[in-house]
Order: sequence, then structure tokens, then C-alpha cells
Amino acid sequence: MRIPVVFLVLALSAYSARAEKSEAAPAAATAEMPELPPDPSFEPSYSLQSIEVRGNRKTATALIVREVGLRVGDVVTANDARVALARLRLLALGYFLDAHLSLVKGSERGQANLIVEVEERGTIILDAIYLGTSDATAVWGGLAATERNLLGRGLSLGGGFVGSTRPDVPHAEPGLAGALRVAGPPAFFSGRLALQASVNASRGSEFFRAQGDDSSANPQDFVAANVRRLGGTFGVGRALSRAFFLLGEARFESLRADLPAERTRVFADGSSTAIPFFVREGASHEGTLGLTLDFDTRTDPVLPRGGHHIALSVEAATSAAASSYGFVKGVAQSSSYFPLRSGHIIGVHGFLGGIAGDAPYFDRFFVGELSSLLPPRSLGLNFSTQPSHNLLGTEIASHRYDNLAGRLLVEYAIPVWSRHGLLYRGDAFAAVGIFAVSNADDLEHRAFGKAVASDLTADLGLRLDTIIGIFTLSVGNAVGRIPF
Amino acid sequence: MRRFLQLGAVVLAMLVGSGHAQGEGTSSLRTVGVARKGNQLAVSVGLPDLFGPRDVERLLSGFSTRVLIRVALLRDGFSEPVATATRLAEIVYDLWDEKLRVRLSAGKASASETLVVPTAKAAVDAATSLTGFAIADVDTLDARSPYHLSVRADLNPVSDELVTNVRRWLSHPSGHSRAGSADSFFGSFVSVFVNPRIDDSERMLQVTSQSFSLPEGRSP
Repeated sequence: MRIPVVFLVLALSAYSARAEKSEAAPAAATAEMPELPPDPSFEPSYSLQSIEVRGNRKTATALIVREVGLRVGDVVTANDARVALARLRLLALGYFLDAHLSLVKGSERGQANLIVEVEERGTIILDAIYLGTSDATAVWGGLAATERNLLGRGLSLGGGFVGSTRPDVPHAEPGLAGALRVAGPPAFFSGRLALQASVNASRGSEFFRAQGDDSSANPQDFVAANVRRLGGTFGVGRALSRAFFLLGEARFESLRADLPAERTRVFADGSSTAIPFFVREGASHEGTLGLTLDFDTRTDPVLPRGGHHIALSVEAATSAAASSYGFVKGVAQSSSYFPLRSGHIIGVHGFLGGIAGDAPYFDRFFVGELSSLLPPRSLGLNFSTQPSHNLLGTEIASHRYDNLAGRLLVEYAIPVWSRHGLLYRGDAFAAVGIFAVSNADDLEHRAFGKAVASDLTADLGLRLDTIIGIFTLSVGNAVGRIPF
Repeated sequence: MRRFLQLGAVVLAMLVGSGHAQGEGTSSLRTVGVARKGNQLAVSVGLPDLFGPRDVERLLSGFSTRVLIRVALLRDGFSEPVATATRLAEIVYDLWDEKLRVRLSAGKASASETLVVPTAKAAVDAATSLTGFAIADVDTLDARSPYHLSVRADLNPVSDELVTNVRRWLSHPSGHSRAGSADSFFGSFVSVFVNPRIDDSERMLQVTSQSFSLPEGRSP
């Protein structure tokens, strides 16, 4: 174990030094841009007589023309800022390998025809791969993919599924989940409303400890609540400015839960207590309304070198939305990135969430999504009985779903690639953090030190921005998907 | 567990190695003319290979083409430049006058120079060549040190803000990522499977000069 880690650190350090040397040359294309004085001979203007789109075999011409943002009769100049923006807007759709605008003479002096040439590309995206094994479930797997230009109309249609073998927990059933999501044409630049809707269905088991030590992942110590979910969402979003995005979303789900006959947790001293399943037995419904405000000034969404990203969300479930559950859930997430003189980056990530009321287990904060060393849920299904590793000697091993959660994580990233061939950029990163969970009952009835359980989390790996996608190759990704 | 981590370490190290190999090809060596022009250090270099055949054709598109050249003077063995200079060129073809004009600016707006050229190739040569381009006051440099130049040329540079917004849109097509969702901070194995490159310019060329000593004496 020690040898590979030392080997890795040495290799990354050596590469980092070389990467910095190659970037010592002028880096930013736009820095210190000289000014050009106004000159009418460099600003010939033309009235657009027609707009012609070439190269689009699949994508609707009307969609391309709308994204270009110019109309017949508009007057454009050789330096028109709308032209550069139009090219990037077309590329940003993700439908084209390349796009260019040009003019040819019109029928009369001062008139021109605008030619938009595009080179189309495949638009099916692999969003995620779900794969793992645990003490409780021999294997689970699945994937999610999206067609981003359905019928050439710019509609996005995505789907995903995950399935598992039958877990070893008594009376558990194999997990199976699927989701479909449709979104309207891109609206980031246009200021139009962004519409999206989704449906999801799943059946599977959630595991609740009935006996044994909290640190044990033995599936025989757990009982299974078999839950079937069928629901959907509808959302409307809008970019308020370059940095702010606001999303409103309604969610409705129909649930059917079969709870196990054994509903008591037995402790080593012989005492017992009722198992909180956090879901109504039999049929129930959940209806929520949510609002998310997103603020993003990062220099890059994948490998940021600076800036901030803050997301604030609130979601409420009430009987007014035909919900059997009543709760309010608030989440605040932030990430800030600070470049160092060496070119390395320090990232500070915060997460704070709280739930007031009676939320079903799948809406609570799951320990597997706070720690990188545990398996996260896939399409809402959990396949593991693994407790947190309890590196701080708290009662974290007894916590799985909680109403209160917080995490602070510090990350150190070293750029190791930049602008080379198929691999655009890559960062090696190491992260360490602490998270804590609790719930209102514990805070009310126990001393603070006992009521709040915490643990450490860490990760080490590479983030790669490549021509075929964005990948995270990390120790956390690996150990989170195998028994550890 | 240990075996898995060891395997991961080997794979990671191999990736690092392959990245290293690719990285060495980004800045090629090119001979740059260096002369003394008064008390200025002047350089001459041609970068016509910034343009591909399609880029040359597009000079007649009716829209302007910009070329930004940035030159950095570095002491050998140091990564911080001791002097930098930039030159912006703009090429515009007037559809109705059928004239190809090139405008060169090296900093202040008043210092621009305008040329009318007969062909697209001549426009490329004018926009991508530096001839006797002053980059530093020789009196401020250490005459005993060897130097080299790093030269970067960008075709149609784009503002950082615009590039950032486009990249943001590509990674989050719906414009947001839902807070509190099951997406962990560490992400999944794969996030996106189509990823068009959006750079801060359409093409970029970077070259490094030979090592040289400061020219002696003064030239007129």
C-alpha cells in the first residue's frame, strides 16, 4: 500500500514540474489584447438578404437560424460581435464538430447573403456508469445515456437503468430502477425558459439494522423494507444573468412499501427498540415543490482554476401537494477555488443540509453520499450495508439516513495536462474532509458530543477532460464500489 | 484491496507517462531572428503555419479574422518572463470593393498600421510575421545571461468569459445541477461522452526560440 502511494506522488510531482515549464510561455489568448482604433474601412456593413444553412443533415434549419440570432434585414459589420457569439452558441449546443459563418455578395451593393456551415456530430451521451459490489449485493450495474438532439429539434431525451442481484439481506428483492428525462431546447444563452420533465420507477430494498454491532456490514444483521416508487418531476428554469440560474421544480411520487415482519432492533445487552423505517407501510404519496438558485463564477465547470459555485435549494412537501409526508428540506452547497503561484489550486467545498418534518428515507441525507469511501446510491437505490469507517471514534457507524448533515472538504489539485491531443486537460487531486450527521431527536435528548456523529473522508486521483468525456479516476471511486 | 490499489497505481502512472509524452510536442523549436534596434531588442519570426488551408479560404468570408501574437523573453533556466509584448492583426475582406485589408497594432491604438494586400496568402504573411518587432529595452537586460523567446499565436481569440459560459453550458446542459442530489462531489466514472473542444481561440501555435545572447553594439 505504501509503495504505490509514494510512487504515485513522485510520478505526479515529476509530471507537474514539466507541465508548469511548458505553460511558462504566454498562456491566455485574451490577456493584454492591444486595441485597434475605429476605422470605417475595417467596418464594411451589409444588409442580410438571406440566411442559408449548409451541412445540417439532421438538425433542423430553424433551430440553427434561431441560435445564430441574426435575421434577414439585419445589418452586420465585419467585426460584428454577434458573429463570434453565434459560432460559439452553435458549438455549445454540442451538435456540431465545427461551425462557421461567412458572407457572399447579395444582389445589390451593400447587401449580402449569410452562409452558416456546420459539421454535425453524434449526439448520444453516456451520462453515467453504475457498477459495484458490496457485502450485501453481489453485483449491480447499469448506465444512463442521453440523446441531446432528438429528431434534430434540440430536444434532450435521456434514460438510465440499474439492476442488481438479489441482496443477501433476508427477504430483500433484486433492485431495478429506471428513469427517463426530457428537456426542451437549450435556453442558456437565449434567455428563454428551460423546461424539463422526468419519470422514474424503481423497486428494491432498503436495509435497516436489526442486530449486531454497528460496525458490521453482515447482511444477516439487517432486515429489508421492499419499496416500489413511481413518479416524475416537472421543472422550469431560467438564467437570470451570466452567473445566476433559477429553477423551480415540482415532484410527485407514488410509493408502496412492504415492511419486514421483524421491526425491532435488538442490542447486545438484550435491550431493543423499534426500527425507524422512514416510509409509510402500504401505499403512500409524496408531492413536493422546490426552488434552486445556482450561482456560478468558476473559470471552468470541470477543472476550475478559480471562482465560486454556490447552490441553494429548498424543497417542501405538504398535504396541499397530495403528499402523505410533510417536510421542508434545505441544502446549501459551495465550492471555492483559489489558484496558487505554483499553478496548483486549492478547492474548499462546503455542504450543509437540514430537514424539518417527516421525510421518507430516500430524501434524507445518506452517509454514502457524504463519504467518498462508501458506495453512493444509483438512481435512488442503495445496494450496500457498509457503515462509515469511523476513523474518528464517534457513533457514525450507527447512522445511515439523517435529517442534518454537513461536510467540509479541502482539495489540492495539480494540473498535469493541458491542451494536448485527445486529452484536453487533467488534474491530479488529493482531498480530505470531515462530515457530520445528526437528527433532531438526538440533539434534543442527548449531549451534543453524542448527538453529532462525524467521520473523515478522503480521495486521491485524476480528473480528465478528454475528447470523449469527463472522467474521474480515483481511489474513492474504486473503494466506494467494492467491499472495504 | 491491496492488489487493487497497486493495479490502480500502475494504471495511473501509465496515464501520467503518456500525458508527459504528449506534452512535449506542444511548443516546437523555431529559429527566431534577434537584433538590436536602437536600444531595443527586436525579433523577427514567421508563423504562417497558424493558418490551415480552410482558414486561408475563410479570409474572404466578409467577417474579420484576428491574429494575436504574444512574445515572452525569458532568461534560460527561468520560467518567469523578463519582458512581454503583443501584436494584434486584423484581416478584413470587403465583398463589394473586393479589397483585402490588414491592420496591425502593437499596443496603443495610435500605433496601428494598415496595409492593402493583393492575396489571402499575403494577408496571412502580414498577420503572422514579426519583423524587427521591439520587445524590450536592452539596457534593462543582463548582457551576460543567455535568453530565449516563447512565442504564442492565436487565431480569432475569444474572451475568457464567453469560453467559460460555453463550457458551463456543455457540462450542465440544463443549466444547473440539483443541490442535494445523489451526485456525489467526487463524481462518477464518466460524466459526459461528447465533449467538443471550446478553446480561447480557433487555433493556437506556440514556438520556442533558440537560446541567444544579447546582440552587441547599436544598429541605426
